[in-house]
Amino acid sequence: MFVTMISALVTILSGSIIYAMIGLVATMFGIAGLYVYLNASFLAMMQILIYVGAISILIAFAIMLAGPLYKNPREWSTGIKFAVSFVVSLFSFAVLFKVIMRAPWMNTKAQEFTVTTKDIGRVLLDKLTLPFELISLLIVVSIIGAIMLAFLSKGEK
Amino acid sequence: MTGTLIYNNLYIYLFLGLFLLCCGILGLLYRRTLIGMLISMELIMNGAGLNFVAFNRFTSPENAGGMSFTLFIMGIAAAEAAIALGIIILIFKRFGHIEGQEIKEMKD
Repeated sequence: MFVTMISALVTILSGSIIYAMIGLVATMFGIAGLYVYLNASFLAMMQILIYVGAISILIAFAIMLAGPLYKNPREWSTGIKFAVSFVVSLFSFAVLFKVIMRAPWMNTKAQEFTVTTKDIGRVLLDKLTLPFELISLLIVVSIIGAIMLAFLSKGEK
Repeated sequence: MTGTLIYNNLYIYLFLGLFLLCCGILGLLYRRTLIGMLISMELIMNGAGLNFVAFNRFTSPENAGGMSFTLFIMGIAAAEAAIALGIIILIFKRFGHIEGQEIKEMKD
């Protein structure tokens, strides 16, 4: 948990964008460990595969393709902008923290937990079939859109 | 194991999800480049997914609804990252930089 918190802070506060990406990877590992604590080992594996394996590599390629960063190494904004965004973030933190502490959750203690990977697959293909298919359609559309954007930029030259 | 005791509580996970959300808001507001904003967006989505799994674990431990919704969140985040990176590279080819404040062509 503390690994996750510290690396999330590294992610948003580091001066260089490549350090931010490395902090994102560490955060994803921490969240995968928390999924293991929550008895969701399948989700932990998915987290590592998708985020650490795919999305961070995608972001690294974008950083490398988007030009030399040494020309403009400063990631920090002006001080007043940082102060304003810090106040906004702190305000939302306070409000939502109060909501969490006040809300009557049903039971906050751990009990017997019997969901396995088989149950996840059963739910995905039985009760949530339509969202599952829609997600696949969304991913196909987004891939076609990304390829179209690449072709569009080639035609512009 | 002394560390496992505090992980048996719903509030720990809610607090961590809230922390990730606020880190994401902070990064989204003050980062200068578009890639930094995208990384902060991933933090927000992961906080939401962590909350889903924690609610599934503690309030309804007999079905797997929350876990499947976390899988949906991962799929949506992957699609969003692919599209956003395509747009970022297009912006870089057109303007020569990826700073969010300096892109003003649509405003004029």
